[in-house]
Amino acid sequence: MSQTETTIRNRREEISRVVDAVDRFAAEHRLSVDDVGDLQVALDEILTNIVDYGYTDDSDHEIRIRLQVIGNVLEATIVDDGFAFNPLESQAPDVRAPLHERRVGGLGIHFVKNLMTEITYDRVDGRNLLVLRKNLTT
Amino acid sequence: MELNEQQAGGVTVLQVKGRIDSTTAPMLGERLTAMLGAAKARVVVDFSQLDYISSAGFRILLLAAKRADQTTSKLVLCGVSGKVRQLFDLGGFLDLFTIAPTREEGIAAAG
Repeated sequence: MSQTETTIRNRREEISRVVDAVDRFAAEHRLSVDDVGDLQVALDEILTNIVDYGYTDDSDHEIRIRLQVIGNVLEATIVDDGFAFNPLESQAPDVRAPLHERRVGGLGIHFVKNLMTEITYDRVDGRNLLVLRKNLTT
Repeated sequence: MELNEQQAGGVTVLQVKGRIDSTTAPMLGERLTAMLGAAKARVVVDFSQLDYISSAGFRILLLAAKRADQTTSKLVLCGVSGKVRQLFDLGGFLDLFTIAPTREEGIAAAG
């Protein structure tokens, strides 16, 4: 088992540092392009949610992202001290609405749920603790 | 993400390479807004070199499709395959956009 950890501030421009960290981690572990893509999309959705909706103050907050491979499972753990938000409870978007009624709210979490094998959520000591797991295909 | 623009007859083809995520989506949005700003613009977006697209990218594509409607422009997507196609399918976007299998067919559909 090996792991890497990245900490970013709650700013949109910081998210690209996580993209780079995932790329490095994927190269070290020779992960397939599709598996890495799924995790990149899932993390983009989760992190933009936290940055955009997790806080109402103007202060800096830390968001921690830990990546590890355990056996055949790729795991990402995201910890933030924003408002409690359990993505497992969010409603699926209407993916059949016509163009002018189409909204993208909820779409990101819908992607996360479908791209990941397993998601667990806990609220611990005022922090959201989200674990995303993906069974590796190769 | 890399954007390459080419003219083919009266049609502008925008090739998007790499990734569309929350970091890169605004750049794509600006480009598409400019391209679809003129009345009766003809635009093909080629995704054959795209690795993935997150919901931030779909938000941009929805806005672009609505803008195309307003300016009576044509917006056609092509090269939607593999991982990118899976994401379009998950989001229910395959029926929402005009999608051509190849760039050539996309140009024909937009022209």
